[in-house]
Amino acid sequence: MLTQEPVVTQQTAARSVWGVVRFVYPFVVVALIWETALRLGWVQSVSLPAPSQIAAEFWRLAVTQGVLWEHFSASFYRLAVGYFLAVGIGVTVGALLSLSPLLRGLFEPVLSLLVSVPTIAWLPVLLITMGLGDRTVITTVFLGGFFAITYNTMRGIEMVPRNQILAAREMGVNGAHLFFAVLLPGSLVSLITGLRLGIGYAWRALVGGEMLAAMIEWGIGKMVFQARFFNNVSIMFVGILLIGLSGYLLDRTFLRWLEMATVERWGMVRRR
Amino acid sequence: MLQNENAPALIQIRDLAKEFDPQSKNTVEALRDINLDIEEGKFTVLIGPSGCGKSTLLYLLAGFEKPTRGSLLLDGKPVEKPGPDRGFVFQDYALFPWRTVLGNITFGLRSNGWSKADADAKAREYIAMVKLNGFENAFPHTLSGGMKQRVAIARALAYNPRVLLMDEPFGALDSQTRKHMQQELQRILMQTNKTVVFVTHSVIEAVFLADRIVVLTARPGMVKGIIDVNLPRPREYTDDSYLDIREAVLSLLSEEVEKELEMDGM
Ligand SMILES: Nc1ncnc2c1ncn2[C@@H]1O[C@H](COP(=O)(O)OP(=O)(O)OP(=O)(O)O)[C@@H](O)[C@H]1O
Ligand SMILES: [Mg+2]
Repeated sequence: MLTQEPVVTQQTAARSVWGVVRFVYPFVVVALIWETALRLGWVQSVSLPAPSQIAAEFWRLAVTQGVLWEHFSASFYRLAVGYFLAVGIGVTVGALLSLSPLLRGLFEPVLSLLVSVPTIAWLPVLLITMGLGDRTVITTVFLGGFFAITYNTMRGIEMVPRNQILAAREMGVNGAHLFFAVLLPGSLVSLITGLRLGIGYAWRALVGGEMLAAMIEWGIGKMVFQARFFNNVSIMFVGILLIGLSGYLLDRTFLRWLEMATVERWGMVRRR
Repeated sequence: MLQNENAPALIQIRDLAKEFDPQSKNTVEALRDINLDIEEGKFTVLIGPSGCGKSTLLYLLAGFEKPTRGSLLLDGKPVEKPGPDRGFVFQDYALFPWRTVLGNITFGLRSNGWSKADADAKAREYIAMVKLNGFENAFPHTLSGGMKQRVAIARALAYNPRVLLMDEPFGALDSQTRKHMQQELQRILMQTNKTVVFVTHSVIEAVFLADRIVVLTARPGMVKGIIDVNLPRPREYTDDSYLDIREAVLSLLSEEVEKELEMDGM
């Protein structure tokens, strides 16, 4: 009996290692082919540096100079502030819209229109009204998350099965209690979709905002943008790969975890 | 029973009418001139052609809808909104998927001021009554349809409403499970002595369960006839006197079903 437990842990460990390997190996294959092609002189390229160069640049930024973390923490600070504002305000506004036919009638058309505006399109407006600094970037992040979260919260609450609401009301459940005990959990499938879309849009908006807000010094988007002054394509690629990886991990880690712990566990969506 | 013969019925329905969208030209007259008394502890079945307003009548009793005219008294007080003096069981169960079996049943109790310990104990009592021991911590999506409906029944009974309202509760079950659930419901009600208003399309189900069968006309729903079923309990489907009662209900019903088909242009 006792000997079985380690086997199980080994298996799960093996499975997650296998998962990482499966994720990484296509990148390794592509990198190896590209490296070989460049070294053997099959192709000439200025715009796409050799993987070894990118790796060396990464090492310099991350370890020798250590500036990469400064860029990263600046970016994550803006993302965190903007995104959490978007979650708080977005869920509240979405809930109000779904609960009040009057508000809904007024704002739903506006919202449906704005939800499909790429966040980057707001930037010129924000640069003029809020300046070239942090505030603008954080607001961009906020807008990136806000519309998706608001819209999906509203839709989620509307889609809570009518009979579940009636069953609760017959038990005498009303008002705020009904909202927190039935409407909110009942709308989680859609709400989490909003949170996921929201963080994706917020992350994209962040990088764009950092590139265009001239007054900020640090940020992963800034790093990529500034590299053009030094003609350093390797830095750009370090940045691009890290932006992609971070966006992927943001989606795959805590939101994925939230989804598994709630709507998948409750059978409200199929397990993936 | 101490109940006086002349005591007012638990539910009194007087000249009740319900129209949907009364101002528009798409007005639907769902119910017209309903007069009905429902006695405490009795099992009343509403039966009638599809679209005749059975669910609407149940929704009015539940307080989900408001009457257009007439009155609806529960315990002498007008029904104005939903409330825990009534329990509702839906055809699609309407369980809360994010709550366990136990959590679904305690929800109504906790919402009505029960302490956690008391609510848990009461819920377990009802879980035992509907024979779901061992499934306390299961989430609804892992249960079969019949089991879900047991949870829904336990959930509606646990907080001890005056009336249990059931809208085709077994309509989504296969015939085997359905028959079993009818027997189970009969057993539970012999234990709890609850007043029930029950909507069904099945005459067999109606005769098996009912003390009174109220046959409604095709839309607008009016009371076409009332048939009392004075058979001893527990009942069996094979009792002889059944056939006569079934015939009586069927003949009332079939006239109305034909009318409804004509209305639909069939
Ligand atoms: N919310 C509503 N708005 C408008 N019309 C409605 C509404 N609810 C019900 N109706 C109409 O009222 C009539 C009665 O509906 P109801 O659902 O009570 O019928 P039913 O007897 O329960 O039918 P079934 O046996 O098919 O369940 C129908 O014509 C229906 O279209
Ligand atoms: Mg119905």
